[in-house]
Formats: sequence, structure tokens, C-alpha cells
Amino acid sequence: MINIKNLCFSYSNKPPYALNNINLTIPDGVYLSIVGENGSCKTTLIKLILGILKPTLGSIEIDTNKIGYVPQRLDSFNSQFPITVKEVLSCHKNSLKDKNINILDILEIVNMNDYNNKLLGMLSGGQQQRVLIARALMGNPDIIILDEPSTGVDEINQKEIYSILRKLNKENNKTIISIEHNINIALENSTHILRIHKGEVKLFTVEEYKKLRDKNLDLDNVI
Amino acid sequence: MFQLDFMQNAFAAGLIISILCPFIGLFLVLRRYSMIGDTLSHSSFAGVAIGLVMGVNPILSAFLFTTLCAVVIEFLRGYYKKYAELVMSIVLTLSLGIAILLISSGKASAKVNSYLFGSILTVSSEDIKLILIVGIISLLTLIFLYNKLVYITFDEEGAKTSNINVKLINYIFTVLVGATISMSIRVMGLLVISSIMIVPVATAMQLKKGFKTTLIASIIFGMIDILLGLTLSYYIDSAPGGTIALTSVVTLFIVIIINKFLSNK
Repeated sequence: MINIKNLCFSYSNKPPYALNNINLTIPDGVYLSIVGENGSCKTTLIKLILGILKPTLGSIEIDTNKIGYVPQRLDSFNSQFPITVKEVLSCHKNSLKDKNINILDILEIVNMNDYNNKLLGMLSGGQQQRVLIARALMGNPDIIILDEPSTGVDEINQKEIYSILRKLNKENNKTIISIEHNINIALENSTHILRIHKGEVKLFTVEEYKKLRDKNLDLDNVI
Repeated sequence: MFQLDFMQNAFAAGLIISILCPFIGLFLVLRRYSMIGDTLSHSSFAGVAIGLVMGVNPILSAFLFTTLCAVVIEFLRGYYKKYAELVMSIVLTLSLGIAILLISSGKASAKVNSYLFGSILTVSSEDIKLILIVGIISLLTLIFLYNKLVYITFDEEGAKTSNINVKLINYIFTVLVGATISMSIRVMGLLVISSIMIVPVATAMQLKKGFKTTLIASIIFGMIDILLGLTLSYYIDSAPGGTIALTSVVTLFIVIIINKFLSNK
């Protein structure tokens, strides 16, 4: 479970806050999509949860330290960066306490076991994303956080990625938190939606969100 | 050639430099931090000038001053996250200012030219001992931190979430860059020291292999460039630094041409 209490954040450490007095509980086992317009601090919120950024005020309590992170497209995802799929996973494996992990088994979960010795930069966007998901799975995390997993990914690979995420959520009971730009993808795959607007947040189940949208309500005013 | 003491010393120093410089250089290139080589070579020059004026071993004073500048660079990087090149310019300006001030005062000896262009003749046994000690410590540190450095180079934010102390490792790495440069300045000369850090890496990247293979290839190309460059420099009586730099560029072009030929087949 993630408990966010009275969270305020600003990059300058003083008001006005980009995230303002957030109070939120994310229960175990949900598939949560975070949505909001550009610049609404979706990535900032997940960086606060991950501990990459520190809250200006308030606190974030997480009852597990087993969190896997899948970042957005990296600078190193270019065809000249000399790293293989196996090396990406090996350096993460070396950072874990439990090193008793078979890299090929992990790659099999994301259907990438044939690409072990391939250069990461020569793979498609979707394949690269699957490698990063495999990396996030290596510590057997309780929570997996993804930053826009569908960006730069073709439709076929998108379907594959979301199928893997849904399976991890439903069959392995992993909590999935994913930033989504496409609300339809969010509604199709998640159990809950977190909408961020003007520094405030509102948590919906997917059914609640769909009802509000079907009623043509101005969702900005629902928060 | 190898019966001469100074050539033995130069080759011994060259061998250590040829392993360390490309090792460091690979991480610098991939982190798009290549400018730090030039910046710290100027810091080394300021350190040499301080040593020559004060009458202490210039390689030791270069090492100490460069280490200080490396720490300053890493500290300032936190304030200019998106404009790292600004930090380099600040430290380069400081270092050049000190070097020019001291050298133009006439209190630094005439040996200063050998540090600009490199010199085979002036590598003493004492220099070799210092280069060996600093070289071995630097290499062992790099090997110990290898996996973490690869992680940070590939994905710095991901490394932070994996409980890697990225800030500390960045500081240690920058100090290692400074140590490598200050150690290499005697043979290579400050004007071209960054070439031996960068060009063998550029050559190795032509092979389009994984990280470990590219690292090993960078070191091998570094060895070829330095040892061949030193040999040529002896026979044609040229500045070793410049000769090594040109050899490294010729090696790069040869590999590019071979690559092109093989891919067209």
C-alpha cells in the first residue's frame, strides 16, 4: 500500500506548489493509470513515490521496498550505445540483494528470451520497453511503476506490453502504476484511474470514471 | 630502443595510460561528458605550474589540483544540471588563469613545454612509481565500481531507484578522471591527453558490440595507438603526444574503412 499524506511539492521548495496537499491511498493489487494534461506533474508524482525527488511538505509511506521502475524512453536507446540486453539486466541483477535470478527466465516472461545477446539500440521501441519491464521484474517487485509505456511503441507491441501488465496484475497480484497519455488505453487495461489537474488529484475506479465521462461531465470540475 | 632507460620508462607509463585512459574514456563518451577531459587537462597544467613554482613533483601537484577541480566540477554540476558545459568552462577558465599567471611570472622552469607536448626523455623512475601507484589504485577502483558505473551510464535515474549511491560514485569517477589525466600528462602532454581517452573509444564503437567487448576493444586500440605512437616518436624524433594523437586518428579511419568494405561485401 502507498499512503500519501499532505504532500506538497515544488522544485523551488517554496509555494506555489506544483502538487498541492495531496492525500491519497493506493491499495495493493490495483492497476492504476495516472492521467492528466501535459505539465500536470504525473512524472513528478511517480518520482516522489520512487524517492528520486523529496517532498517539500508531507510524506509518502510505502509498506514495501520492492518497487520496479520502467522509465520513459532513455537517451541511451540509440543504435550506437554499446550495450546488450543481457548486460542491461546483469547490471541491475548486481544491484539486487538476491542475485539468484536467471536472466533468461525473466526475459521469457516478456517474450524476449531470443534477444539476450542483441544490442539494445537495434531493437524496436516496443522490444526495448519489454526489456525494461523485464529489468523491473528482476527483484520480484510488489509494485511496478511505468512512465508512459506506450510512447514510441507500435500497436502490436503495445498490445503485447499491456497484456503482460494485465497478467502481472491479475495473476501475480502486482500493483501496477502507469502514466498514460491515452485515456482509452487506461480505461481498457486498468482497475483505477488517478486524474491530476492543477496540482490536485482524484482517484476513480474505471467504472466511476466511465460513468462520469458518459454523462459528459467536465472532469476538471469533478476534482 | 628498449635498452634505453627512458624508453623503458616511457613504455611502462604508456602501457598503464593505454589501459586507464580508454577505460575512463568509454564512460565519458557514453555519458556525453567528453569535454571534462579537456577541462581537467587544463587543471593538470595549472597543477604542474604550481608544482614547478613551488619546487615539488609536478605530477603530484597536478594530481592534487586536478582532484580538487574534479570535486568542484561535480559540486557545480548540481547547480547547472542541464548545462554541464557551463561548469566545464568555469573550471577551465580558473585553471588556465592560474597556469598563465604562474608561467608568465617566469617562476616556473623551462620544463613547462614538455608538459604541453609530452616528452619521452623526461619520464623518470620516480614518475613511473607514482604513475604505477595511482594507476593501480584507479584501475582497481574502476573494476570494483564497474557494474554500478555501467548502470549509471545507461540509466542514471534507474540507478538511483536501485539504491546505488549515484552522487558518491559520480564524485569518485570524476576524481578518477582527474587522476588519470594528471598521470598521463607527462607522456602525452596536456594538449592531446583527451584524444587518448576518446579516440580509441570511437574506434571500438565502430565494432558495434556490447559494453564489455567495446571496453576491451577500446583498451586494445589504446595500447596500439600509444605503443605505436611512442615507437614512431622515437624514430622520427617527434613529440610523443602529437604522434600518438595522429596514430589514434589514423587507426580510427582504417577501422572505418575496413568496416565499410566489410559491410559492402
